Amino acid sequence: MLMNERRCVITGLGLVSAIGHNTEECFNAALNGISGIKDVKSFDTSDCYSHKGAEVDLTNEQLADGRYDRTTALGIRAAGEALADAQIDMDSEDAAKIGVILGSCIAGAACVEKYYTQKSRGEEGNVEDLKSMPATVIAGNVADYYNCGGITANIVNACAAGTLSVALAIDLIRGGKGEIFLAGGCDSFSSLAFSGFHALRALDGNACSPFNHSEGITLGEGAGVLVVESYEHAVKRGAKIYCDVLGSGVSSDAYHITAPRPDGEGQMSVIKRAIKNSGLDFTDIDYINAHGTGTAKNDESEFLSLKTSFADNDHVSVSSTKSMTGHCLGAAGAIEAVLTVKALTERKLPPTTGYAEEDLKVLAEKSGNIDFIANTPRERSDVKYAMSNSFAFGGNNASIVFAKDPNKLNLLCPKQDLYVTGIGIVSGEYSEETKTYNVSLDTDTFKAYGVKSAFLRKLDRLSQLQLLSGVKALEDAGITVNEENEGIMGICIGTTDGPMTEIANFQKGIIKDGIDKGSAFAFPNTVYNAAGGYLSIFTGIKGYNVTIANGFQSGLQSVCAAAGAIMFGYESMMLASGTDECTDIDIEMYRDMGLTGKGLTLGEGSVTCVIEKDSCAAERGAKRYAKIGGFSSARDTSGDRSDNLRYSGTALTKVIENVLEEAGLKAEDISCIYGFGNGIESLDAFEMDIYKKIFGDNIKVELVKKEYGEARAASSSLQLAKLAQDIYAGKYENGIAISCGTSALYSAMLLTKA
Amino acid sequence: MNTEIAEKIKGMLVERLRIPADELEYDSELFGEDIGLDSIDSIEIIVGIENLFGVDISGAGATKEDFRSIETLTAFVEAHKED
Repeated sequence: MLMNERRCVITGLGLVSAIGHNTEECFNAALNGISGIKDVKSFDTSDCYSHKGAEVDLTNEQLADGRYDRTTALGIRAAGEALADAQIDMDSEDAAKIGVILGSCIAGAACVEKYYTQKSRGEEGNVEDLKSMPATVIAGNVADYYNCGGITANIVNACAAGTLSVALAIDLIRGGKGEIFLAGGCDSFSSLAFSGFHALRALDGNACSPFNHSEGITLGEGAGVLVVESYEHAVKRGAKIYCDVLGSGVSSDAYHITAPRPDGEGQMSVIKRAIKNSGLDFTDIDYINAHGTGTAKNDESEFLSLKTSFADNDHVSVSSTKSMTGHCLGAAGAIEAVLTVKALTERKLPPTTGYAEEDLKVLAEKSGNIDFIANTPRERSDVKYAMSNSFAFGGNNASIVFAKDPNKLNLLCPKQDLYVTGIGIVSGEYSEETKTYNVSLDTDTFKAYGVKSAFLRKLDRLSQLQLLSGVKALEDAGITVNEENEGIMGICIGTTDGPMTEIANFQKGIIKDGIDKGSAFAFPNTVYNAAGGYLSIFTGIKGYNVTIANGFQSGLQSVCAAAGAIMFGYESMMLASGTDECTDIDIEMYRDMGLTGKGLTLGEGSVTCVIEKDSCAAERGAKRYAKIGGFSSARDTSGDRSDNLRYSGTALTKVIENVLEEAGLKAEDISCIYGFGNGIESLDAFEMDIYKKIFGDNIKVELVKKEYGEARAASSSLQLAKLAQDIYAGKYENGIAISCGTSALYSAMLLTKA
Repeated sequence: MNTEIAEKIKGMLVERLRIPADELEYDSELFGEDIGLDSIDSIEIIVGIENLFGVDISGAGATKEDFRSIETLTAFVEAHKED
């Protein structure tokens, strides 16, 4: 079978931003160059050098029903419009198939601010705010809100997250893991991001001016959601089809945690990957919705990348709609994807706004063959292929291609078997003092791997844990990253809570000292993908780079996404990790949410598995721990959907059945299960009950959390790593690692002997 | 050199930039091979010094040379500090 052969189409759009409450309003404003940038209202900026922002003039109650953090509320609003636009009957069986993949950068930052402000006044924080802080809950909450029963994921690669969500949706459809997805991104305006970019001196004092004055960004808020659907499914239900989404590209700069490479190498690489994966040539692209943030560093490198990549293209038009929507961070790529689809289908291209007469002269001189659209829209009846680009902190780049003409879609790689060929484990030991399982991190351990203290000091705890398991896995696999393989290796990281310690401490700092006093040093580590960024910078890995925050099962889901990245020919080898830290902040959060003390003991760690395709492993004579027999995620919306910690026997049973079917095995063939039991009596009993029903009373169940604590995403990765080691050692013939997320999401991966 | 100012700057660098104290001498090259600071760190130093001494070192015209080490930063602060 050839991968990538399924057509994916866009059948619904939803948008909310500072320039409109829905897609039509936003698109019309964008065409007319109407900016949503005004003075910030959400908080007091009087001590700051910039006061500009692009905020949405709807309250949380107007966006959703007021029960959610603003980021989720924005997502709910755009998702609702997209579902209505796609005319999906939510009472039909289609509803159960709809998966939700949302990108976010700052996640529940509004709740972080509210919670720690209350705490700073000596008040008791609201537990609901605490639960809404991590990105982990967003997609599940949106899915539950609309009764969408498909799988969920939160992509947390900062400003590239929205684009990556659409990219992952295509991969899942083409990989046979779903038929229809709500894919996009959402982020609210936040004092955290404002203070952070203010500290970096990256805010423009006026409205941002991309590809023009380039004196900084203006932050915005909003959400964009697209219904991404298999062509067959769309036709079967008689859906209106906007356009095809052909393919995507993902790359890493491996350069700097906040700045893009000045030579544009990573950006050019991602553009090339997206064009190749879409079966196109550089000369095919008609319109590019640029990243175009307005910082000097971005605009210079992006200008260079576009002019170099499209030197032979005499008809490409480019604009930055951030000049109107502001930079909506994790929502940016999704908002821009919606505007790009509208531009492509209406054949009207929005401009970059804000050019004065003298600016236009400068632009004309520097544009060369590229048509940088300024101030007024460009009507082009010949537009067939459009691209949207996003470049993020951590050096993460993502690009996606939409088409009015699907004819050129090519077929990529033949399917190959995948193997676990390297394992790096960093796990904790029990401390009587803290009553948690903690990892001892010392500089000598890092020095042994060549990590200098000048680099190490920049990394927060989560990033240090991740770096260590990553380099250990590479060492175990016998891989040295060099010019030959740096472009065929990628990284996929799963985390439950991400850098919550850095986020909470940054927020506490600005509550105490003021928004103008945020730390430029600490801010880059508040983004969830910093750990993946540092791993790429240190190792030099320049391929795929995605971070998923989706509950305890994130470590397993990262392996699933990594396997997908190899299957579609993006990479030959992937580092797939699960990482979570256990600090005072985590301990306090889990205690206040009432999750510890009922048998659950918190832990931390990072586990990285090297996933590699057969031909690559054979070529370098790799040690093969185990072969991947199948993987699956499943959700269920029955029961009380307002409880996102509910259990679902239906979904758990389904993932097990799915991996057995994919591997061509029966329940009685399975030697062991690496389960997710963590000491919470009701959860453990529920889990064992399902296993006994499927596998019988004698099924061997290994529980890593007994020995290492609930290290969340690190635990689910550890389950897989231990299973692979046991199979390699001959202890088991095969086995399944299984874990759970929020909103009744479960994932499973089946391994067999290599 | 005013060691009182130098010690305060050293403490600030250790705290705000997580530089190991035992690797940081008064004459260590902050932006060179020794410590390896970058542009983000320089922003943090500007804010840290303003908070400690009330000296706006970027506004007061500090050059790259003034950021070379704790010694040079101390001299700059001493010259621009209002008593």
